Amino acid sequence: MKAFDYIRPNSLEEAGRYFAQGKSVKILGGGATLFLQLQNGELAPDIVMDVKDIPGFRDVRYHHNHGLKLGAAVNLQHLVTGLEIRRHYPLLNQTAHQLASPQIRNRATIGGTLAWASPVSELAASMLCYDAVCHTWRPEGARAIPIGELYLGDFKTALGPDELITHVHLPSFPVRTFGVYQRQTVRHDGRRMIAGAAALAVRKHNALTNWRIAVLGVDDRPKRMPEAEALLAGAPAEEDIEQALAAVQDNIHPQDVVYARADYRRTVLDSLLRRSIQAIIDNLQDYNA
Amino acid sequence: MKHEIRFIINGESRSLTVLSQQTLLEVLREDLGLTSPKHGCSTGECGACSVLLNGEVVNSCMVLAAEVDGADILTVEGLATDDELHPLQKSFIDHHGVQCGYCASGMLISAKALLNRTSRPHEEEIREALVGNLCRCGAYADIIKSIQVASRARR
Repeated sequence: MKAFDYIRPNSLEEAGRYFAQGKSVKILGGGATLFLQLQNGELAPDIVMDVKDIPGFRDVRYHHNHGLKLGAAVNLQHLVTGLEIRRHYPLLNQTAHQLASPQIRNRATIGGTLAWASPVSELAASMLCYDAVCHTWRPEGARAIPIGELYLGDFKTALGPDELITHVHLPSFPVRTFGVYQRQTVRHDGRRMIAGAAALAVRKHNALTNWRIAVLGVDDRPKRMPEAEALLAGAPAEEDIEQALAAVQDNIHPQDVVYARADYRRTVLDSLLRRSIQAIIDNLQDYNA
Repeated sequence: MKHEIRFIINGESRSLTVLSQQTLLEVLREDLGLTSPKHGCSTGECGACSVLLNGEVVNSCMVLAAEVDGADILTVEGLATDDELHPLQKSFIDHHGVQCGYCASGMLISAKALLNRTSRPHEEEIREALVGNLCRCGAYADIIKSIQVASRARR
């Protein structure tokens, strides 16, 4: 790796001063993606800024009315083990179990993973279902970016070069929320993603409301599928599911990759999403039984 | 930029001077002579460089040495006592968990992290714990068996 200065600010203001120096600054969370770019020479910043000591960046707070606040430097492993996640955000918890490897989950941070903006981000797909909002800070001030507006496609984000993700906020969800994530990859650690389908719904009496569908691997970014969600409202019958799946097919644009052709990714996604939706309906029936 | 760091390595407190761009793996191998963590892929895929950082398994090629100031680190050199191998090491020898040996340190460290939190893991848990460790000899079956037997022998 080329020489750089490693710095570890203790406040946002201190971080801001480094941005103002006119040097190139790269932000370090867990390094899971930054190191790839430093090692292969793609990036050669003057400063690598470790944000883990900034107050609040490692905080996890849950309140049954206000929802969940996850600091940007909280690691992905917390989504596997954190009690509040396991209890109140089952889809996020289930997704986290499958993310990368223990080594990576122990280091990679929520802020860093979201800022990397992989087109096949499983974390983002789950966050999309929960209507997460990304809170950021830059010298001009703080702002809130809904997760659906953070990703601009193909690793691009709405974040400025001097903008830090401070935390992510997820609204509270009723206890009776079901979530299922299904994926198909070439490798067990999630590399070489073919497609993934996240589904979430809230039980209300004998019906399922608030359906959320997010898909990945079939477009330039993880995406919600509002047309399909509308078709599933209530207690979806077989033909509603078929229509919803057709609506998804109309709204995706998969690309060929060396390990999966676009039409194969379409077919795989269809099967995965069908399974996710059916698993949620089965959950409801088990609950009623 | 230079950094003075102090940390605990295999139970022993050490301080040294490192450069910003040095990885923990480089410092362990080059400065401290601890060669159990291996340099594999540099991309966090192979797990040959795995160490325990404050009890959690990480890829030491993806950690800056400057980051570990104040941390507690364990490598395979810290597994055995002066006169006895760790039960995992013995089991890897007895059940052929080591073929060429390049991945073995990382496998042992991932197994240690698993046994620290689960005393009697079942096969599926062992497989999950090894997701980040590649063995290109393909000795997985014997590695899993070695870990299983070691966990049973422990109590």
